[in-house]
Amino acid sequence: MSEGLVAVLDWIAILCLLAGALLSLVAAVGLIRFPDLLSRMHTAAKPQVLGMLLVLVGIGLRLIPVEETNVFNAGTLLLVGLFQVVTIPVAGHIAARVGYRTGRIRADLLTRDELAERLERRRGEESG
Amino acid sequence: MTDRKTAKKAKAAALRRRLGKVQVPVALGMTLVWMLLFNAFQPRWESLGLFVLGFLVSVAIMLVFPLPPIVPGFRFHPLPLVRMVLHIAGKMFTASFRVTAWVFSPGEVHSSVIAMRLRTHSDLMLVCTAIASSIIPGTVIVEVSRDEWTMYLHVLGAADEKGIEDARADVMELERLIVRALGTREDIEMLEAASPSGKESV
Repeated sequence: MSEGLVAVLDWIAILCLLAGALLSLVAAVGLIRFPDLLSRMHTAAKPQVLGMLLVLVGIGLRLIPVEETNVFNAGTLLLVGLFQVVTIPVAGHIAARVGYRTGRIRADLLTRDELAERLERRRGEESG
Repeated sequence: MTDRKTAKKAKAAALRRRLGKVQVPVALGMTLVWMLLFNAFQPRWESLGLFVLGFLVSVAIMLVFPLPPIVPGFRFHPLPLVRMVLHIAGKMFTASFRVTAWVFSPGEVHSSVIAMRLRTHSDLMLVCTAIASSIIPGTVIVEVSRDEWTMYLHVLGAADEKGIEDARADVMELERLIVRALGTREDIEMLEAASPSGKESV
């Protein structure tokens, strides 16, 4: 592989890694800054997914010029990405659900709450 | 003596029954994961051994922990699949910027919990739509009701009617793309049948 191409790949990789790290930083700031559980969930689960994917892409690009491993090492990165993407929503959903059901949300921050309407309705059906 | 024989036969029958439950596509998928784990996609002889070993391990896992099959499973439509992946990736980027802007803008961010009734009635499509909308920044699944095929989403920043409607349209679009890309023919028909009246979402 030519020197020039390696340099270009390196720079793209560096940009990806930096962007990923920045997004993770944003997630951390959001965690501190947002007042209630549900909005915190957004920053905890979200910019971080994209950030992690970007970091993985960056690492993958760095791996391409390495002689003996080449692109084939990207398999592990692919797995990391795949399982993160598939599992983060599960954890997020459970946390959000438990938080909601136990009332650890700030209702004053919600403009509209259709789930509350439904739970209310259901409660009405059960008692009536 | 005969006791032993019948016991052996019963054992063999049980094993055969379990072997019959092995789902080959799932086993192949697990083999793929195994090969990715061990970097088996290099042109060398060990790769073949890793493939065989991976397949045996997958079969063993399915024998020990049998799971009911997922019916009807995925159908892959290549072109819509590419469209879906590009759409989700693009949304992730734009929505990340939006969330970042909210993080650094002062004041409280208002949001809403909205109900989204899906147009297709398939477990797999529900799961895929839920995962996709969870991955895109700005929406979190709070609750899923399977008997009503409704997802309850917490939408960050949806503080007025317009924001809520936009979020709704986004999720609808996401569902459409996912069903087009991964759904069975019945799913797609269902989607199309529901689409004209799909505007009423609650």
